[in-house]
Order: sequence, then structure tokens, then C-alpha cells
Amino acid sequence: MAGEGGARYVVATDVGGTCTDAVVFAPGAPVRLGKALSTPPDFAAGVLAAVRKAADDMGMAPGALLARTTLFVHGSTVVDNTLLTRSGARTGLLATAGFEDTLLVTRGAYGRWAGLTEDGIKHPVATDRAPPLVPGALIRGVPERVDYKGAVLRPLDEEAARCAIRALVEGAGVEAIAVAFLWSFYNPAHEERVRDLIREIAPEVYVTLSSAIAPVPGEYERTSTAAINAYAGRIARDYVTGLRALLRSEGYDGPLLVMQGYGGLLPAEEAADRAIGMLECGPAAGVIGSRYLGRLMGDDDIIACDMGGTTFKVGVIRGGAFDYAREPMVDRYHYVAPKIEVASIGAGGGSIVALDPGTGVPRVGPASAGARPGPVCYGLGGAEPTLTDVMLLVGYMDPGTFLGGSIALDAAAARRVFAEKIAGPLGLAVEEAAIGIYRIAAAQITDLIHEITVERGLDPREFVLHAFGGTCGLVCGVFGADLGVRRIVIPYTASVNAAFGLVSADVVHEYSVTKALPAPSPAREIEAIYAPMAARARAQLVAEGFAESDIRLERSIDLRYGRQVHEVTTPVRGAAPMDTAAVERLMADFEALYERKFGAGSAYRAAGMEMTMFRLTARGLMERPRLEAAALAAPDPAPARTGRRDIFVEAAGGLAPAEIYDFDRLAPGNVVPGPAVIHSPITTIVLQDGQSGRMDAYRNIVMELA
Amino acid sequence: MDPITFSIVRHRLFRVIDEAVITLKHVSGSAITNEGHDLMVSLYRADGSLLMGGVGFLHHLTSAAEACKAVIRRFEGDIGEGDVFLTNCPYTAALHTSDIYLVAPIHHGGRLVAWSACFVHVYDIGAMVPGGFSPGSRDIFTEGFSSPGIRLVEGGRIRRDVMDTVLNMVRAPEMVALDLSSMIAANNVARERMVALIDKYGSKPVDRACAMLVDQSETLFRARLRELPDGRWESRQYFDVEGETCRVLLAMTKEGDALAFDFTGSSPQSRYGINCTYWASWGGFFAPLFPLLCYDIVWNDGVLRPVTMIAPEGTIVNCTRPAPVSLATVGAIQSVNNAACTCISKMLSASEKYAGEATAVWHGSHFAIFLFGLNQRRQEAIGILTETFGGAGGARGRADGIDVGGEIPNPIGRMANVETTEATFPVRYLFRRARPDTGGPGLYRGGNGIEFALVPHDAPEGGIDYVVSGKGTEFSMSEGLGGGYPGAPCAFRRVRNDDAARPGANAHPRSLEEMTGEKEAVSWGVFPLGGEDALYVRSDGGGGLGDPLARPPERVRADVEAGAVSEAVADGIYGVVLADGAVDAGATESRRRALRTARLAPAAGG
Repeated sequence: MAGEGGARYVVATDVGGTCTDAVVFAPGAPVRLGKALSTPPDFAAGVLAAVRKAADDMGMAPGALLARTTLFVHGSTVVDNTLLTRSGARTGLLATAGFEDTLLVTRGAYGRWAGLTEDGIKHPVATDRAPPLVPGALIRGVPERVDYKGAVLRPLDEEAARCAIRALVEGAGVEAIAVAFLWSFYNPAHEERVRDLIREIAPEVYVTLSSAIAPVPGEYERTSTAAINAYAGRIARDYVTGLRALLRSEGYDGPLLVMQGYGGLLPAEEAADRAIGMLECGPAAGVIGSRYLGRLMGDDDIIACDMGGTTFKVGVIRGGAFDYAREPMVDRYHYVAPKIEVASIGAGGGSIVALDPGTGVPRVGPASAGARPGPVCYGLGGAEPTLTDVMLLVGYMDPGTFLGGSIALDAAAARRVFAEKIAGPLGLAVEEAAIGIYRIAAAQITDLIHEITVERGLDPREFVLHAFGGTCGLVCGVFGADLGVRRIVIPYTASVNAAFGLVSADVVHEYSVTKALPAPSPAREIEAIYAPMAARARAQLVAEGFAESDIRLERSIDLRYGRQVHEVTTPVRGAAPMDTAAVERLMADFEALYERKFGAGSAYRAAGMEMTMFRLTARGLMERPRLEAAALAAPDPAPARTGRRDIFVEAAGGLAPAEIYDFDRLAPGNVVPGPAVIHSPITTIVLQDGQSGRMDAYRNIVMELA
Repeated sequence: MDPITFSIVRHRLFRVIDEAVITLKHVSGSAITNEGHDLMVSLYRADGSLLMGGVGFLHHLTSAAEACKAVIRRFEGDIGEGDVFLTNCPYTAALHTSDIYLVAPIHHGGRLVAWSACFVHVYDIGAMVPGGFSPGSRDIFTEGFSSPGIRLVEGGRIRRDVMDTVLNMVRAPEMVALDLSSMIAANNVARERMVALIDKYGSKPVDRACAMLVDQSETLFRARLRELPDGRWESRQYFDVEGETCRVLLAMTKEGDALAFDFTGSSPQSRYGINCTYWASWGGFFAPLFPLLCYDIVWNDGVLRPVTMIAPEGTIVNCTRPAPVSLATVGAIQSVNNAACTCISKMLSASEKYAGEATAVWHGSHFAIFLFGLNQRRQEAIGILTETFGGAGGARGRADGIDVGGEIPNPIGRMANVETTEATFPVRYLFRRARPDTGGPGLYRGGNGIEFALVPHDAPEGGIDYVVSGKGTEFSMSEGLGGGYPGAPCAFRRVRNDDAARPGANAHPRSLEEMTGEKEAVSWGVFPLGGEDALYVRSDGGGGLGDPLARPPERVRADVEAGAVSEAVADGIYGVVLADGAVDAGATESRRRALRTARLAPAAGG
């Protein structure tokens, strides 16, 4: 195996809201991690800084590292950020005449309450829609009409379309136009003709067609998707092109792949025109990374948790597969695009602990002190007690070793503020109150995971829990035990979760055709839908350089019971082409999936079944990083023990003595018995009484529950 | 009770309801439940009092409590573990027969510790008109089957005899079966989760937490009432049915920490099914009370304790059996909602601290249109046009109303896409949009309502029928507040021989004015939509708040630019004169002066 000097590298960078992470892989060499602050709106500086950190660690200049890099994989929040900061293009919208208000009216109250918490929903007088990405003055109706079968009822009035385009471009100065007509997903001809007209009149204007970006029924969601893509399109394109140019100037000219919210990679050139695809790609990458790690460890059923400064996020992998979000939103805007479902609540290290002013009942989050002013104990001016302060008060954090000792924690200040604002009013001792708050946070996380497992017919006791992020290791022992998961893994790459996911992903193209067919229908009718899709997909992957043997085409079909609203995406098993038996198998699989998802007795067979959407996932298999297993040492962790102090131990009902360990001094094979705390420069792991943590050959901590 | 356990139990009770709602939606799979959110799941104490109300159609939170209490009375000594009871009798608890309650006891260790209850608007109830809304009914006996309480599930097993009898009385029994299954499943989930909660924290601590939850809501609500000024506020709601004008009169009195609602003076009960029963009126004013006064308080029995009601027997707000009530939810209950919204908002307006929480009436008429007939796939289709859940926001104490912004009593409704309706029913929309000028003018403008027109399309029988049960065509029901104008009344036009419905005519009207057929104003009854017919519907707008002459001219100009207000209304009601799209300050000032003088003129003339 080549040493580090001659290695070829894979570099992955993930730009998150706060931090930009880098992961560098080379066969036979240790995984290198880099972390830097994100630098919006010009994210490139943060990307380079993170790569530099990793390169430093390897004793190389970043240019030298990039010169030996064979693949650069990237994920970014640039599109999310464009929406959150409302910094997109001046965007116009062309809609079917008579239906110009579709985007503004948001299906009535839907756009007013969607995305709000229960507290917000209960207070309608205080709710409003988000300001529309396209204001009413920039929306024009175009005479045309297609019906529910895709038949043209009214031909496109090209002259009126030209007038509308000129009014938007020349009159109103729009830089981007979204086109969204009724039923265009069945018959996109009018939208496509309008695109040609825009190109003819104003070639510089960025255009998104609803039938191209979201070929699905439901004009509000489809229009909203087109509007978001048009709004952020130019920024996404410039970003990807800019990153490409930057890498070239740093000496890298190889393939550049960009992460999508559905957990697959796209070549930069294609990703550049699908702004919508980059939304929430970081959490999606996290789930993909978790799946890969799970496979290495022999686990296919995983609850992947990520807890950082402000939020707790969780995704579920079952049998190596995951669910897609049904009604995804960015900020408070709806869109339709396949996106891995990741649930979240406002519970992180920076979450503010407060007493309800009316009732005096304690609450954790959703408000957050963020990184600045941050928790009281950081001494950066934070005046509100946070979950991190609570962690310090219950003994889980070591004032001296936080972030490798780079910040000395002010325990006295944390205690004073917590006593004054929380413990005092509750009439409890500081430790007692802190333990109570810790339990509330753990219970809220348990409830969230319950929501996306038990409430969907999944039993958490069959799952392994992955704990990512700087804060998760402090709480996972408690909520993991509460849920009864099989075991908990705190991955070595826990702090650069998303970047790790990037190097575990494949190139994935998603195709779909919306068409209603009764089930069963003759297999040849289904094949007629798939044949052109499959040919297109194969040609695309071949053009991207994939060998035939590395191409996988996976079919799935959305089915539903007649007169029912719930559709279930059902994978097609067996090789193409489908035959009668395959259609029957598909229907049986749908029925089983439906009952699993919606509960026993929910199947409604009286009105028959129908197929509504035909999906094709085209996968170009990427080479996976090979992690090198270290030799295992003896179980005794004594050499890594650094001391002993009192921490909250659930079984003791209060503070009790526990051993303290240094992660960096643990050797693979060591087993740490609880109650104990393991400190690493980036995270802290708490083992409850009866739990044990074994460092495996990849330096993951594998926690067995009592 | 330690605050930590209390906090955890409270959070978990929220989750229990949420999970039951998701189960109900999953199993039901119907459009009205999933799109309109026309449903409710809540938890009740062992005595049937409300423990925690979920976010659904809020009239039902208290009525389902009455359903629990009625079952407790009727079946005393005979309530077993795993039983589920059905009641839909409006004279017992329900709002109308189509809204079926399933209530289920929750036992722990052999002891009855709580109840769960849920409701959906079922697909059909066997009334004289498909879907249940029956303009022609003259008594409860023609409004479908009605049970004051029957055991549907016994010890966890569905009673086949009962289920089959129920399904034998309705159209599309397979759809109703699914509605009932969804409610059984929701109750099952609520029971399992409550039992798990008690297993974990113990029956005494959970019981204490529940008692504390109710007491806490009472304490908080009373404290809020004490913050508000004492006084008496009135509201009058009129609505018209077939030339008959009905009136709901409400006087709300607040003294200290008690609140009294008095409907004395409301019209005698009607011969039409717009009446409502006692418990419907009780729920009818709590529906706006919960979100307007208790948005930060858990909705439970504690909120009910400081409140009393007088609703004279034999009136439209407390009708006597067998008066018909099938349209109560869009009839008298809606007027009770509106009147309560106005009285509560008047009280809020009188408080400096809470004036921002006041709101003019949202979506006052709650027009409902049911379609029924054979659809393009030759299926018998029955369903409501979900535009009724589109609504229109009333102007608020510190903000404009929201165009097509929903309604207060159903905080999370929504309407279906045009493409969904066109795929479900044999109809085609000519247009659907927010209608300018329908929102009531005011310092804060009421939200505009919606307008749309339909023609038949690919109907195998040439058309489909529709039920109109609209009131609010003669008088606006979206009352304004503090000098704000009411929202525009709603309008329904039955259009015959319209070019837009004629194949090959290539007519594409963009408004009622552009439609070529003979237009007849309708508001009540069952009509065909076939051949060359069209149906035009305009919903009411939200009420305005404050004097429109005080609205900053720049905001009026922005409304005109956005197409929300016409120049005519800007000039005639807001007194804002625009020239080339800009405010003409001088002309505006003199226009407003002239309008003020004109207002005072009749008074000056004696």
C-alpha cells in the first residue's frame, strides 16, 4: 500500500450554516478531518480554509493536496442561505390565465400555518404567510389551457406570451422567470414553447419550467418549486461555476460532484441548473454517511441523530433505505423534490433554558444563544442559561478540556445564572434543577424519535443509534436507553458527519413520469413508459464516464387505493423488463407497505388500486473509501483514565462519582465501563451506569446499553 | 407535583394527540379529512371533562366532552375496557349528524382513568341529500341516522351487528367504513400511548399532572380575564335563507375573572336546517375563544370553568327536537363563531396590552358547496368544494387580514389544488383567484376572499349536481371592527347556456362579467351542473378594522398596485386619489375631507 507521499486523494467538503467541514481519504492512510468557519455569502474562503486545516494535519500545502486529488465532492447550504436571507434574483412568474394567484394564495391558510410549531398554530391572529418570492406585480397570466388528460383545450397564445415576457423583462426588469401552467406535467408543450420565446426575447434571463423541475400533480406546490428554483437558480449556478474555477486555480481540474437533498451526487454541470436539489443536502449527506458506516458495521436499521448548537436532527434508515419527505419546505416555502426525510427540534447545546412566564414550567429551546453570545459558561457575554451550562452543572463537561482546552469554561458564572433564573424560582437546589432540565431535554428528544419511528410503525428496539454532532454524546445514553435501541455508535467522524456522507454517496439521477394507470395494467404498458426513461438515464451515466458494470437502474412506482389520497412509492423487484408476475408482485408489495406505513386495517381495496407515478433512480456506483481497521488492544482502558469526578448518574438519581477518560489516549479494543465520561477535543461521551463503551477498530465508540 | 415530571407529561400528552391525528389521517385517506383537516382528536379526564384539546375543528373540543359525559350517563356501570362508543345525535352532543364522534374509555389497571374522543365529517350519513347537507330537510328525521350512544366496539372487537346496521343506512358504505376505521385506530393509538405514559410515570403522578394541567389553564385564563377591562359587548349577526332573515344576538359580559355569553333575543328556530343545538352554541363560541384568548394556554376544562352561557330554548341557537340541523356548522354555529369573535375582539380592543390580538371576523359565511354524481371514472363521487377552507382573514389589531387566509375555528385548514378537484370531479375551472375589493376596508384591510367558476367536463352523465347552502348573500357575515367595514357578502350564480361550457365555442372568460350565459343568483338548494351550465362562486371577504379614512394613503396605493383594491374603492371608500400610480396628496386630503363631511351630513340634518 502506498504511503501518504504517493497517495491519490478524495476530498469532500460540506458547507454548513456555521462550519465548513473537510474529509480527506486516501487508501491506506488515516482519515483526515478539517473544520473551519463558514464564510457566507462567499463560501469559497471557508472551503479552502477547511481543506487547508486537513492539509496542515497531513503536513502538506493545500495546493499539493489538491494536485494529488482525484475526486472533489461538495455539499453546500448556499441555496438554503439564499432563501433564508432573501437574496435571490428578481423573479417573474408566468401562469395559466385565470390562475395567476396560485402562488400567492398558497392553497388558502396552508402557507400561513405550514412550518409553524404547535404554539404558532394555536395563535392564528399572529400568523402570516412568508412574503412571496415573486410579488403579485411580477406575475402574468398567459392564455392557454390543458385539461386533466393532457388534452389542449386552448392553444398557447404566443403573442400574449411575448407581451407578458417583454413586460416582465423590459418593463419590470426581472432576471429570472418561472413558468408554471396547469397540468403541464402531463403536457409540457406550452411551457416549453414559452421557454423558447423567453430565450428568443431575453436570452440572459434565467428560466425554470415547472414541468421540468417538478413534473408532478398539484399546481401550487409545482409553481412554488419553479419559483424557488428560478429565484435561487443564478446564484446556485454561479456558485458551482465559481467553485470549479477556484479549484482550477488551486491546481485541481478533476471531477466535481455536488450533493443533492435526496442523498445522491450530481456532476457539477448538472447540479448547477437544479438549485432546488441542493436544499438540505447536508442532513441528507449525514444520513448517507450513517448508512455507509452502518453497512461497514453490519447494521442496516439505523436511527441517525445529529445534535449541535441549535438543533437536534434525526433520520431513519430501515433495511438500508430511507423515507422521502412528503411536503418539504425551505424556510416557509413549499417545494416538491425528492428529499431524505430528516426531522428536527430546536434542542442543541445553545438552546436556552427558561421558565414559562405564566406557569413557571421549565422549557428547553427552541430559542438558542447560538455560538455568540453562546452559553453563559463560554464567558462571551451569554446571559441566558443554556443546555450546555446544564451539562456543565451536572458534571458532564470538564471546564479545563473543552474544545481541546481552547475555551476555559466559567462554571461559577453558569451556576450563578442558573441558580438565579431557574433553580431559585423552581425552589430546587442547583444540581437537582439541572438534572431535571437535562431529563426534559432527553424526553423531548425521545418524543421526536418516537414520532418518526413508532408513529410510522417502526420499533426503535430494532435499531442501532448513531450519535453525531458535538452535543449528542452527552445525551444519547439516556434517550437511547429510553427508546431501548440495540446499541449506540458514536462514530469517529461524528463531528464531520455530512462531509463523511459525501464520500459515501453515489452519483444518482432521479427521473419520473406522472401517468395514471389502473393496477394491474399490462406489463408492456409499463415498459413503454420506462423504455425511454431508461435509455436516457443510461446515456447520461455513460456520458459521465461510468462503465456499464457500474450503472444500476432502480424502478419504483407510486400506487394508491382508489379514492384515497395516500400514495406509497413501491420499489419494483426483479430484473427489467417487467412481466405479469412482476406487476402482481408490485401490487402485493404495495399492500404490505401501505399497511406497514398507515397501520393495520388502513388498506382500502374496495375501489381498486392505481399507479400514479413511474420513477427511475439511475445510480453510477462510486468507489467507497476503504477504512483501515486497526489492531485491537486489550480491553483495559486504564492508560486513558485522567481522573474522577461527580456526574449525574441516572440510576443513582443524582450526582455520583465517575471515571473520566481521554478519547485520544484510548486504544482500539479498550472498553470503558459506565458511569464514565470520555472527552475528546470535539465531543464528549457520557456512559450511564451499566453501559459500556468499546473503541472499535475504526475508533468508533460502540456503546452497549444495560 | 414536581415541575420536571409535569413538563414531561404535558409534552407527551401533546404527542399522544398528534400521533392519534396522524393515525386518523393515514387510515381515513379521504380528502375532507386530509386536505380540509375537518377532524379533531382530544383527550378527556375520567369524568369526561376536557384534558387537552388538539388543533382541529375547534367547535368540537367541548361537544366531544359532552359526548363522553353522555356516554358515561347512558352506560354507567357498563363501560368496559376496549369499548368504543358512537354518538352523532345533535340533541345529545354532536353538531350535526354527519359529524360522528367515537369516544373510548382508557383503562389502567382495571380502572377507568381517561377518555379519548375524535370526530370526522363522514362521507355520507344517509340523509335526503348525498353528503348530509340537506337544504330540503324540515326535521331531524330526514337528516340521516342519528344515535344518542351505541357501542360500536366491545372489548376491542367491532360489533358486526352494529357496524353493519350503520353501514346499511348510508351511501358509499365502504367510504364510511373507512371513516369509522380511522377513528377506531386513532382512539386505539391514544389509549396505547396513555397507558404507556401511566406505566412509565405511575398512575398517581400522571393523574396529578393532569389535574394540575386543568387547574393551571383555569388560573392562567382567569388571570388574563382580570387583565382585561370589565364590560358588556354586543354583536348582531344576520343571515338569510330563502327570504327568511335570521338573527343571532350576543351580549358578552366580563366581570372580574368571569365571562358570560347571553344569546337572548336570537331568532326563534328556523324551519331550515341552519339551527343549532345547545352544545353546538357552547362549542361555537369556544371555537374562537380558545385561539383568541388562550393562544398560550392549554385548551382544556380549566378554560371552561370561568364561562357561562344563556341560550334560550326554542331559538336558532338552542333548537328543540325535532328541528332540522344538518346545516348547523355553516349556519347558526357560524354566526355564533362570528358574534363571539366580534365580542371578544371588542373586549381585547379596550385593552392597551391586548389590542393587537383583536380581529374582525374571518370568513363569516363559511359557504359550503357539495358536489355529488358520477365522475369521469364512473365512480359515485360526493364531496365538498374545499375552497370553503380557503377562507379570508379578518383585519387584525396591528395588521391587515390575510387574503384567502383561512378561518379562526379551524386553524389548520387548506384547500385542494385545482388539479386535484379536476381529477376527482367531472368539472373544469374557468378561473380561480383572490377577488379584489372583497376584504372589508379599514385602517387595517380585511383579507380578500376567493372567486371561481366551474363548468362540467367529461361527465359521463352529462353533468353533476351541487348543493348550495350559502347564507351571507344578502348581508355580509364578516363583521368589521372599530369602524372597519364588513367584508363583501358572498355570491353564487347559476349560469345557463354559457359559451365557456360549449365545446368548440372557444370562450375563456376570466371573470363573471365576461361569462355569456343567463345568470341567476342562488343561495339555497340542489342544482344541476350539466350541459352548458356553469357555476360561479364568490366567497365573502374578511372584515376590516378601524376607519378606512385613517389608512395611510401609501398602503392604499400599494394595494391598488398589487391588484387587491380597485381605484374606485381607493377613491370612494379610502378617499385616496391616485395619479399615474402615485398618491396625489393634495387631492387625497380634500377627498377625505369631503367623505368625512358627507358622513356627518345626515346627522347634521337631524
